[in-house]
Amino acid sequence: MMASDNNESGSGKGLGPWFGSAIATALVGAVFSIVILTLIVANYVQGRIRETGFEKRLENMKIEITKDSVDKETLADEIRLFDLEFRESRLPRADFTRTGGYLLLGALAVFVLGVKWADIIRKKVQVPQPMQAGAGEQVRQAALARWSVAGALIVAGIVVVFLLVVPDVDFSTEDKVDDSYPTWAEISRNWHRFRGPQGAGIITDPNIPDDWEGKTGKGILWKTPVPVVGDNSPVVWGDRVFLSGGDPNVYKVFCFDALGGTLLWTGDVERTKPKPGEDEFEVMEDTGYAACTMATDGRRVYVIFTTGDVACFDFKGRKLWTKPLGLPDNVYGYASSLETYRNMLLIQFDQADAESEISKLIALDGPTGRIVWEAKRPVGNSWSTPILAQTETGSQIIAAADPWVIAYEPNSGDEIWRAECLAGDIASSPIYANGMTFVIEPYSKIAAIKTDGKGDVTKTHIAWSVDEPGPDICSPIGNDKFVFILNSDGLALCFDAADGKTLWEEDIRADFLASPSLVNGKLYLLTEKGVMIIAEPMPKYRELTRCELGEKCHASPAFVNGRIYIRGADNLYCIGKETSDRP
Amino acid sequence: MAEKNENVNRRQLLKKSCFGGCLVGLGGLAGFLSGRSRAGDTLWQIDPYKCIACGNCETHCVLENSAVKCVQVYELCGYCDYCPGFHEPTALALDTGAENELCPTGAIKRKFVSEPYFQYDIDEALCIACGKCVKGCAAFGNGSLFLQVRHDRCLNCNECSIAAACPSGAFTRVPSDKPYLLKKVDNA
Amino acid sequence: MRRLFYILIATAVLSALCVSASAEMRFPPPEFEGDYVMPTTTTPHPHPDIYEYVDVAVLAAALSLASYLTLKLRSRRAIFVLMMLSLIYFGYWRKGCVCPIGAIQNIILSIFDSTYTVPITVSLFFLLPLVFTLFFGRVFCAAVCPLGAIQDMVLVRPVSVPYWLAAGLRLLAYLYLTLAVLFAATGSAFLICRYDPFVAFFRLSGNVNMLIIGLCFLLVGLFVGRPYCRFFCPYGVILRQLSRLSKWRVTITPDECIQCRLCEEACPFGAIRRPAVEWPAVEYAKARRRIAFLILLIPVLIALCGWGGSLLKNVTSRMHPTVRLAERIYLEEAGEVEGVTDPSTAFRATGRTIEDLYDEASVIREKFVTAGWVLGGFMGLVIGLKLGAVSVWRKRTDYEADRAGCIACGRCFKYCPREHVRLEKNKQEIS
Repeated sequence: MMASDNNESGSGKGLGPWFGSAIATALVGAVFSIVILTLIVANYVQGRIRETGFEKRLENMKIEITKDSVDKETLADEIRLFDLEFRESRLPRADFTRTGGYLLLGALAVFVLGVKWADIIRKKVQVPQPMQAGAGEQVRQAALARWSVAGALIVAGIVVVFLLVVPDVDFSTEDKVDDSYPTWAEISRNWHRFRGPQGAGIITDPNIPDDWEGKTGKGILWKTPVPVVGDNSPVVWGDRVFLSGGDPNVYKVFCFDALGGTLLWTGDVERTKPKPGEDEFEVMEDTGYAACTMATDGRRVYVIFTTGDVACFDFKGRKLWTKPLGLPDNVYGYASSLETYRNMLLIQFDQADAESEISKLIALDGPTGRIVWEAKRPVGNSWSTPILAQTETGSQIIAAADPWVIAYEPNSGDEIWRAECLAGDIASSPIYANGMTFVIEPYSKIAAIKTDGKGDVTKTHIAWSVDEPGPDICSPIGNDKFVFILNSDGLALCFDAADGKTLWEEDIRADFLASPSLVNGKLYLLTEKGVMIIAEPMPKYRELTRCELGEKCHASPAFVNGRIYIRGADNLYCIGKETSDRP
Repeated sequence: MAEKNENVNRRQLLKKSCFGGCLVGLGGLAGFLSGRSRAGDTLWQIDPYKCIACGNCETHCVLENSAVKCVQVYELCGYCDYCPGFHEPTALALDTGAENELCPTGAIKRKFVSEPYFQYDIDEALCIACGKCVKGCAAFGNGSLFLQVRHDRCLNCNECSIAAACPSGAFTRVPSDKPYLLKKVDNA
Repeated sequence: MRRLFYILIATAVLSALCVSASAEMRFPPPEFEGDYVMPTTTTPHPHPDIYEYVDVAVLAAALSLASYLTLKLRSRRAIFVLMMLSLIYFGYWRKGCVCPIGAIQNIILSIFDSTYTVPITVSLFFLLPLVFTLFFGRVFCAAVCPLGAIQDMVLVRPVSVPYWLAAGLRLLAYLYLTLAVLFAATGSAFLICRYDPFVAFFRLSGNVNMLIIGLCFLLVGLFVGRPYCRFFCPYGVILRQLSRLSKWRVTITPDECIQCRLCEEACPFGAIRRPAVEWPAVEYAKARRRIAFLILLIPVLIALCGWGGSLLKNVTSRMHPTVRLAERIYLEEAGEVEGVTDPSTAFRATGRTIEDLYDEASVIREKFVTAGWVLGGFMGLVIGLKLGAVSVWRKRTDYEADRAGCIACGRCFKYCPREHVRLEKNKQEIS
């Protein structure tokens, strides 16, 4: 400020008396404002220092007075005096700042006015400088300006790089929306749904054990209690085992560590409350609230409960979405399990009877839970699980119910073929082997349908159909040679896969709820009492061994990576050879 | 020459259409804003249920003497002889001696009502919004003392400096016809 | 330590209070007998809303008057007086808030946060100067804006900022606007208000740092005309562009320019454009190629700057209190920092889960990624266009006011001899 003043007076000689007074005004304003500014700053700084000191001291004294060793009365007097002093210094200071501010403003205004005044008197029109060379100068200026802008860009770039070096705190627990999906190879290494890949219940893995005993703990790697009951089977992906459980009050999802069996997390799903006026829904005891097996695509895990409440969790246990589909109209309670295709969740939601036209197959988007497509199904309620069959002509979703077996194109939900061949309460799931799908009508029929048809193939593509007692619960096992079925009462039958001719018949004399599995070419049949019967299916039924778990078993076991996961009535068991420590 | 005129005309046309575009744009913005507008002003206020009486109100207000002050809701006050908002937790005697008082500026006035009840009033001219009494009253009393923005003092800055420094997000914008968020009896 | 102990107790109790609304009253209020009258809590009223409307009316009047003074009366002195009055009214009487510059943020916030409603007066404060600029040029800057006025007042000995330097520095204003929009749209902060350098002078109190920065601006402003307006003001960026299209505008003289070159040094803001000649033939082909290159460069710059903007999410999102809190909590939980802060204590007292906070903060961070792309891309576009704009010009024979840069202060009027002649003529006609 002073510098500019000096300049003014230096260059202002001989401009008349008014110029002098203008300069004087400016000077007075400047000096005055500097003095006031100094005072304000000094007052402020001094006040701050003083008050902080006072505050500290007062606080210390107040602590001091609580001690027994001091003379309380003297100290109290001291505090009172000190406190008074403190307060008396505080208020005037604030006032001083305020008044000083206005004074400073006034002084500055005087200074500026003086300077302006002087400037007006001094100003004269300047003689223009000689014109600089036109075009060349323009081009030069443009180039300079370009470099200046480019320079700014470079500086900005450097600042960005510099800022990026600052360590950042990554608290994000949220993974980005993952819409990738597992490859077929990935799926076949895991047990992502009820009865594993394609719902076939078949695995080839020489490490799968065939010798264990629940009583002695032989061959049992771990055993973990499952807090809430449910008849659904374990599904396994990598080192995670998933189960669900439900009673009228809570719906839960459990995730276990496949290695050690610890419960990693529990997820809660809200049960849809009945609408006002509606009766509280009660499911049949045999079905329970959590009969449907979960499914996973390796990124997320999906669950549905018997009241139609669907939910999706990520592998860390965070609920990604829920979708209540509404209470299904189902006589014994909804029990179809889930299937996935790419990153879609497939739900066979069959209800009531064919005439009411409310059954459908639903595909939900895995990451979001939005409906991708819906296909109306002309069928009544069923308890069967759809399979994603890898046929020669591409992937097909095959869903069996009364009366239609229908195949769908999994991307669009368009129907590929349909065959009318079933009746009654369809609970067995279809299986696919060697260009044919095998379906079961309880107590009366087993049929094989070729999957390369289009449209209504009832008359053209049913390869064979035999009237034999078919199971009402368990699903079949089949390959290119034979089809094996297992009735709940233990009556087992084996047919030639090509023509349906009965190969053998055997009464195993045990009750079965779990579906059979075919491990390394041997049948693994889990009885309701928890005994695993291992038998040779071909050329004739021949029992090899029995392994007792000692706990009732309703759910089909999962076979992954040299281990068997069996859900008993209360516990989840992992059976494997001690050496196979890889998950 | 003709070409040049055409150039100029084209430029004029471009400019005119840009002008029209801007007008339409401003009109659109005005239309949008009319849907998002409120007739009355909004003011800053402290939600007493969120406030943790951290003391930022004293130091962060742009005013030398903060526009936030402590208020007393008498319906909530227990009229205690030992007032945890008035007395030091270690007070030697329940009187108005400076060694027993919590308030650094003596802004709380203690008045005898009837045995054993005392009325506590805030002298706003002295209150500096340090929140010491608020903390005491919330911790050991009824919470009848709490901080509020006093609108006769507040400049209603577009971005309140205290709000920016508030650790608990207690500062909210309230409509000017309901400028205070006082604690209610049934909510205490 | 004692203090910490009390803080802990207090927060514990506070959290109990916060969580259960039905907490009982520890000391039930006594029922007084006799004539005790319970005082009521005073609630002093804010000044009535009508004052806000008066402010809008004053703004509209000042803008109209400014338009008249710059375009019709063409008197620098009158403009100066109006500017002073505006400074007193909008600066010292009204204490600066809300101003059209800051109103940008309210408008942006209302667009992105559907729960936020703008007072209609704030909308008008934002829109009125824009409309006036579109019709009459930057008359708001000339005589209404108190921030411009305080800088204009202190301008004593203007030095001219070289064209190239001004071109580079002006990018700061665009950057400032971009950041202000970023932080307003994400609900993080009102940057323009937080770093308003002059409002502390109007209120005569405020943050010491901002007072010092304001003082620096004023000191620079002694020699550089309106440094904040030209190189920082985010509202000025919008006004510049609208002013390019304005229907009427300030001219050095409404009469024909006689190339006397007397006005050359009149403008302290570098807004008088000298005559320009056509490209020399030797350079023309090269210049054309360069322009083509620069046009092709624009998309590259947009992508590059957008990418840069999105990369900065972890830095920029720190402006948001929730993200800051989440980072703090994370560091505390991980044991990387000692102790707790007020915000982390307050958070823990609410009983919210930490995951919940992390999730919320992550969502906010994702917003910064999107915003970083968009706004970084915008900066890229600005830089690209700027590079092009400084490289092309049309042939000009006259001295004229730069449509964008001219703030209609009227300083150049009296430098023009034609203007003197015109005014004389007017006077004679009247008499």
